[in-house]
Amino acid sequence: MLDLRDRLAFCTPTVARMSVSEIRGLLPAFRFAHAGYKHSARWEHPVAEDLYSVLGVKRDASQEEIRSAYRQLAKKLHPDLNPGNRQAEEKFKQIASAYDILGDAEKRGRFDRGDIDASGQERPRERYYRDFHGPGAEQHTYSTSGGFADFMENEDILKEMFGRGGRTTLRLRGQDVLYRLPVEFLEAVNGATRRITMPDGGTLDVVIPKGTREGQVLRLRGKGGAGIGGGEPGDALVEIEIAPHPFFTRKGDDIHVELPVSLPEAVLGAKLDVPTPSGPVRMTVPKGANTGTVLRLRGKGVPRSDGKAGDEYVTLKVMLPERSDPELEEFAQRWQAGQRQNPRQHLEA
Amino acid sequence: MISFEEFVLRAHVERQSLHAWIAAGWIVPPQTDPEPIFSDIDLARAQLIRDLREDLGVNDEGVSVILHLIDQMHGLRRSMHELLREMRGDREVDG
Repeated sequence: MLDLRDRLAFCTPTVARMSVSEIRGLLPAFRFAHAGYKHSARWEHPVAEDLYSVLGVKRDASQEEIRSAYRQLAKKLHPDLNPGNRQAEEKFKQIASAYDILGDAEKRGRFDRGDIDASGQERPRERYYRDFHGPGAEQHTYSTSGGFADFMENEDILKEMFGRGGRTTLRLRGQDVLYRLPVEFLEAVNGATRRITMPDGGTLDVVIPKGTREGQVLRLRGKGGAGIGGGEPGDALVEIEIAPHPFFTRKGDDIHVELPVSLPEAVLGAKLDVPTPSGPVRMTVPKGANTGTVLRLRGKGVPRSDGKAGDEYVTLKVMLPERSDPELEEFAQRWQAGQRQNPRQHLEA
Repeated sequence: MISFEEFVLRAHVERQSLHAWIAAGWIVPPQTDPEPIFSDIDLARAQLIRDLREDLGVNDEGVSVILHLIDQMHGLRRSMHELLREMRGDREVDG
């Protein structure tokens, strides 16, 4: 609603300078004197007094100039050419009213002489064509979906929307939701079940299959965002992040481990318990084994989905006693073959 | 529902023009036999056609083009409304 003064301002400059209460006191007389203004619409939408400025033409413009000015404005402002613009309708009403008078040479003459004023000239109009196309309006003969036939070839969402000529109940699949789940090294190798808490407070049990790899994404069907309009829910995508292990490392489906052995075990051979992901395994260290010797435990690596498994590679590392031992020193002193050995031969240029 | 005579009066068109507009496919009355019967949307469309031809100086070829484009635009606007409404999760009350 405009201020009362604004609404009356077009009538006379005197009124525009008056206070609101003064205008209120004047209203009954004003209504009487301007019986033609009685229609309520007149009070809400004052027609600008100067019809020439509404059309942007001079007072001495020719009829042809007026017609041309009106056409230029109407092309821009016609409500049916501006279906989304409510302001266009108001402006169009003003220029249409102005043109109804100025576009007719005889009416224009009477307006110029002051015989008629700018009021009461709104063209009768029932409804604009655009008013039959609001949201929720019914389908009708003129409805078309031809404007987006090309969208429909590849886009499922748009096919769903437009496929019934715009009259749709839209069904959209929910969004996929991505989670990152840190797991222990052995959980990834042997499999496990982990519970995660979702943003909405619910929980989700994630089954981590045997042999899960770093960065692998587990898809939990239907555990993502809710669908729209009865569409199926999206999936939860769980990306697995595997923590390192203190002594196992993994290359593909194989497990590598470094196994320290004592000097007598290396020299004389031994049967030793070796850790594997599925528990310790007894392994034979052959006589004369050395640092860097690699032994393979077949099938003791990472389980695979086909029921087989990778291998575990055990790399030996010969360890001298932690404290020096007089007996060993004495032996080394008198060990002739040992004195002659040159383990750095391959480093010499 | 609007009869031919009433339509001519309310749309401010000549009888002959209205016949021509129907023949051109600009106006498609929901019922044609035995007499054409029109709906409110036909009336609004006729007034648009009249505005285009008389006020905006569009010729007959232009009217066909504009009507076609306007109808496509309404189809797109409607679909956009539907999409936005669904995305906001509003439930439509179907009448």
